[in-house]
Amino acid sequence: MSGARILVVDDEPEIRRALRANLAGHGFEVTAVATGEEALAEASRTRPDLVLLDLGLPDLGGLEVCVRLREDQIEAPIIILSVQEEEEQKVRALDEGADDYLTKPFGMNELLARIRAALRRAGGSSRSGQALLTIGDLEVNLERRQVRVRGAPVHLTPKEYDMLRYLAANAGKLITHRMLLRAVWGAEYEDARQYLHVFVAQLRRKLEEDPAHPRYVLTEPGVGYRFESPA
Amino acid sequence: MELTFWLVRVLGIIAGVGAVTVLIAVLRGLLTVPNLAPLYLLAVIQCAVSWGWWPALASAVLAFLAYNFLFVDPIYTFTIHDPQSALELLVFLAVAAVTSNLAARERARREEARERAEEATLLYAVGRALASRPLEEALAEVAELLRETLHLRGCAILLAGPGGQLEPKVSVGEPDGQFTEAPAEWLLARPRVDQPTRRWIAVRRHGRQRQSASHQVPLRVDERPVGSLRLAAPPGGLRPQAARLLATVAEQLAAAIERERLRHAANQAELLRRTDDLRAALLSSVSHDLRTPLAAIKASVGSLLQRDVDWSEADREGFAEAIDREVDRLDRLVRNLLDMSRIEGGALRPRREWYDLAELVREIAARLAPILAEHPLQLDLVDDLPPVRIDYLMIDQVLTNLLENAAKHTQPSTRVQVSLKRTEGALEVCVIDEGPGVPPEAAGRIFDKFQRASGKGGPAGSGLGLAVSRGFVEAHGGRLELKSSEAGGASFCFSLPLEVPSSEFQVPSGERELETQNSQLGTSK
Repeated sequence: MSGARILVVDDEPEIRRALRANLAGHGFEVTAVATGEEALAEASRTRPDLVLLDLGLPDLGGLEVCVRLREDQIEAPIIILSVQEEEEQKVRALDEGADDYLTKPFGMNELLARIRAALRRAGGSSRSGQALLTIGDLEVNLERRQVRVRGAPVHLTPKEYDMLRYLAANAGKLITHRMLLRAVWGAEYEDARQYLHVFVAQLRRKLEEDPAHPRYVLTEPGVGYRFESPA
Repeated sequence: MELTFWLVRVLGIIAGVGAVTVLIAVLRGLLTVPNLAPLYLLAVIQCAVSWGWWPALASAVLAFLAYNFLFVDPIYTFTIHDPQSALELLVFLAVAAVTSNLAARERARREEARERAEEATLLYAVGRALASRPLEEALAEVAELLRETLHLRGCAILLAGPGGQLEPKVSVGEPDGQFTEAPAEWLLARPRVDQPTRRWIAVRRHGRQRQSASHQVPLRVDERPVGSLRLAAPPGGLRPQAARLLATVAEQLAAAIERERLRHAANQAELLRRTDDLRAALLSSVSHDLRTPLAAIKASVGSLLQRDVDWSEADREGFAEAIDREVDRLDRLVRNLLDMSRIEGGALRPRREWYDLAELVREIAARLAPILAEHPLQLDLVDDLPPVRIDYLMIDQVLTNLLENAAKHTQPSTRVQVSLKRTEGALEVCVIDEGPGVPPEAAGRIFDKFQRASGKGGPAGSGLGLAVSRGFVEAHGGRLELKSSEAGGASFCFSLPLEVPSSEFQVPSGERELETQNSQLGTSK
């Protein structure tokens, strides 16, 4: 984890300074640039392990940078830094391949936690190909399409099962509404987020022990959902 | 119309005279009265009473001729042999003329009295309409009243627009389009109000073009034109007294139009004044609310930068934490200000998606557990409710605001309750606390901007929270209100209207549940 190379992209010099100091202080190797073009050039040259990307860049715009980084086959996790007014752009960036986001002003602890989580996911073994997923009290038998919670079998409708499987396979990762809709209902429904939450509520009702404190399916307001395994 | 008018009278006269002639013929055989000519007075006076002097005279002459022709020697001729008979007939004619004149005058007086009564009724109705109804409705009613009372073919009222041009507002009867157009000269000519100008216009009726008299009465206030009254006269033309009546109505219309203009101007002025007031309040409040945390930050930072003091670790951490807190406070203030300006500017676009409200309430309550740490939270939620279409972030902020207020304004260990239930056509969420409540005199103002509850220690708000919350709820078509609570605390309730979703999904079913939890367990996450 430490020694990982992080590329910071932000046009504010104070933010670059603070991030560089703090991340370096935690053992990361930091490169900081101020524009989108510089970011693309630097990324393709040095292949960082993680990118912190401000959305409000002067030349290209964070969304564009995100898209082009992925086009350049840069698979490193991208964490978006955005201000409150950039909601729509932020969600689109997440749809286009960014992994997570933070809203300015953010706390350093939160930033570090997200960086660590993203690096862990990137370095972790792929979950696909496993026949049995076990996350906390949850057991998902992919071969038989059976789910057990705290030992007891749970009956899920086909759509609920598909949702659970997709979320569990991407545990810890931020899943946008569009990604979930695309995966479970197909590309033609990716904008039909109207009803998604009700389906998720149904799933939660069946999985969660204490609906007041969801452990598995967490809401990212305005963005999507995250399947978290309890620490 | 005009043909009927004359036809009725001519036939009436002939019929009247004819009937009396028959009567005389019959009576001559029965009685030995030499001269029955005065019987014609029956017909003559009837004509006078019904139709006026000229028809009566015409019937007198006709009667004279008829009697002469039929009953005076030599019969079947118009000559009279006997001078005595001639004299009798002439006397008859004179008497007929005089009495019919008297009868006709009586009739005229009666007519006039009736017209005066009609006019009075009309003016009363016009005055009442203009005083009690919104202008457009009143104008329509006035036009209809005029049309009825004066038997007009059509009536239209035009108002002067901002550029001075006249725009038709109301039109009743016929003719329509041709009626309301007029050449410019006619409009620019300034006729006197009591002498409506007249102009012949072509009217297409039943496929034939006819001439019709069209009158225009200008509506003026202090010589300034505010509109125009257009009339298409009835077949008989406008009666002379109509001019006076129209003048009075025109004055009332002009006054009403002017009143409307002044009312509108007064509203605008009031709006500007309020906006100015608001701007002043905003500036002073924002200035204070922005500067206070900045001052605190400056103080902490300044202290840290001082070289001549040796701060302990604890001191340093204290300063840093203070800066962190004040930054959060500033952030919240900026967010509220932006939301408020979006709400005011009408730029709020809620992104509404279907959610299960009970679940949302639970999520937010869980997230706010640290704030509610000292207050036992009771969730009183109904679960088998239909989903509602809401913007998650907005409703999140509303509920957060209400819960923060509840925590802030009540003593520790008092209970905070969140209830959710279905009301008619909506779902209602209430946040109820057991604090001192809102004093009645403040109740009307708490949703205004920059209102703060008086004297309470702890983090002060910007005074915008409830105003923003109300704006968000109203953007969903709902309402946020303070309701009186039996326990005496404050009860803030917002409702979100239910819509019918399409049949694509089923509503999850469940049972009612009542949960009580002590949030102190939720501090670690």
